[in-house]
Amino acid sequence: MKFSLKVIIPFLILLIVTSTALIPKKWNDDTPIYDILKELGESMPAHAPTSRDEEKIKQGRDLIFDGRTIGPNGKKSKFISKFYVCTSCHNTSQEDPDLSVLDPEARLDYVAEKGMKFLQGSPLYGIANRETWYNDDYYLKYGDLVKPANKSLAEATQLCAKVCSSGRYLEDWELEAILAYFWDIQIKLGDLNLSKSEKEKILNASSGNSKEVIALLKSKYALKSPATFGDPPKDHDGYKLQGRPEKGKLLYELSCQSCHVDGGVAGMPFDNTKITFQKFKRNLEKHTEYNIYEISRHGTYAGEGKPRYMPLYPKEKMSDQQLEDLKAYILQEAS
Amino acid sequence: MLSVLLFGQDKGEKVSQTFKDTRVVNGHSVETNKEGQMKMIIAHRFGEVNGGLKEFFGLDQSTIRLGLDYGLFDWLTIGIGRSSFEKTVDGFLKARVINQRDGNGSPVSITLFSSMAIKTLAINDETRPDYNRVRYTYANQALIARKFSDRFSLQLMPTHVHNNFVIHKDKKNDVISIGGAGLFQLTKLVSFKAEYYYALPDQLLDDNTNSLSLGFDIETKHHVFQLHLSNSRGMIEKFFVTQTFGEWEKGDIMLGFNITRDFQIKGKKYK
Repeated sequence: MKFSLKVIIPFLILLIVTSTALIPKKWNDDTPIYDILKELGESMPAHAPTSRDEEKIKQGRDLIFDGRTIGPNGKKSKFISKFYVCTSCHNTSQEDPDLSVLDPEARLDYVAEKGMKFLQGSPLYGIANRETWYNDDYYLKYGDLVKPANKSLAEATQLCAKVCSSGRYLEDWELEAILAYFWDIQIKLGDLNLSKSEKEKILNASSGNSKEVIALLKSKYALKSPATFGDPPKDHDGYKLQGRPEKGKLLYELSCQSCHVDGGVAGMPFDNTKITFQKFKRNLEKHTEYNIYEISRHGTYAGEGKPRYMPLYPKEKMSDQQLEDLKAYILQEAS
Repeated sequence: MLSVLLFGQDKGEKVSQTFKDTRVVNGHSVETNKEGQMKMIIAHRFGEVNGGLKEFFGLDQSTIRLGLDYGLFDWLTIGIGRSSFEKTVDGFLKARVINQRDGNGSPVSITLFSSMAIKTLAINDETRPDYNRVRYTYANQALIARKFSDRFSLQLMPTHVHNNFVIHKDKKNDVISIGGAGLFQLTKLVSFKAEYYYALPDQLLDDNTNSLSLGFDIETKHHVFQLHLSNSRGMIEKFFVTQTFGEWEKGDIMLGFNITRDFQIKGKKYK
């Protein structure tokens, strides 16, 4: 009996220590966030796939970039939309230097450096890590349609496919494929802005501090894309901020011309000629519905016989300062 | 590929919007429809303005062509149309084989155009058989254009028209014409354009004239409105190249307009 206690007690201690110690020796910068959260005991969202399926991921990528793919029947699927593809409004790579801070000013510099576009929609990279979609003021635009979409990525994707892209609802296999692709391009551990000690804490997480580590992880990326619809300036002089033409140039090239280009989704290409900028200037002077403040803050709406429209820019996607920057560039080029 | 063979390299950004629409006035421009895009064209020509008040300056008479053009690819367009003038049905194929590019790329855009027209109006000439084939007319064009600046484009249009049936022995079945057209952009949305087709000598009757048209393009998001004056009544090659009789100096000028509306029929891979 004495002998057996001597053996059992250290064994029990060893068992307790190992059970509270870390599994995550395999975690590294490329580990998807949800892999870590799952191991820390977080429940998986409804859009999590049951298993990784390379074929589905490829189909999903095709649907996002090209609007169609080869379907289960071996034939090319119908385009989701005749007028847009997902990448018309959404980037598929990281677009914010710090994923917990959604600042359009920092974003513009970041996407310019990375050769990306500056777009209205939330990036699809990390969209699977969000916990709500079509947030805040999107209710003003889409009404009750956003209620199911707010809590479900699958519903949000369907709303985007049918309404926002003036397209059609996705078939089940298409939705599965797109969700599989979203899951594949979720945020990785290395993408988070972590201090050395924070990273140590995550890598040394144990069942004892899993809640704390989960909270730490989730504080390092935005769980939602906030959407505040701004108003055009009440005063015709603008927002009374000093415009920076060099920033406006970036906005014109990476935002306006991402759609308004020959072969792009917008009906009217914008070139870099003086007469084009003079047209913008006249619209500003006449305060028409197509001046940059109105069109950026309100966008246009799709309607019968007019399926193409311009999505608005929430303030989190283009700040008042940036609109002044754009105006400064337009006025500079028009003179 | 052809541009690579002809010009050695295919570098530089493609030059876009050499002309505002796929038509200059009566004739085609180098522009083609985008892939999956259908363009509905409603084109009107009224009577001569020298008809005076009695004819309400030509507005009492009008001819119309209804057309549908479709972009199979960005570089290839097919189209059909029906003109009230001689109740003519036409179809065409148009391929943009070379794009003008900035830098060391091609200095011009080239589009090849080929069409066929069938007159469905009865032929009232008892001396001639009413075979179907005599109703056919064919036209072939090479449209060569260059955008010289943000505001100014020119186009050259060597044109061949073959009429299976001609009304007079002095009129050639095959007519060669050299066309020239220009566009000057006045504002972002309004441009002025001119189009002239010169038929080489001794091919047409003495009272035939060369087609001269002047007009304006007014662009909106999905429409282009074209307003113009022309001495040609017909709106396809067989009419304006070989059947123009109006003389500008005598006031044989017809007011006309084209309205185009674009529809996206099929999705595509967007930029």
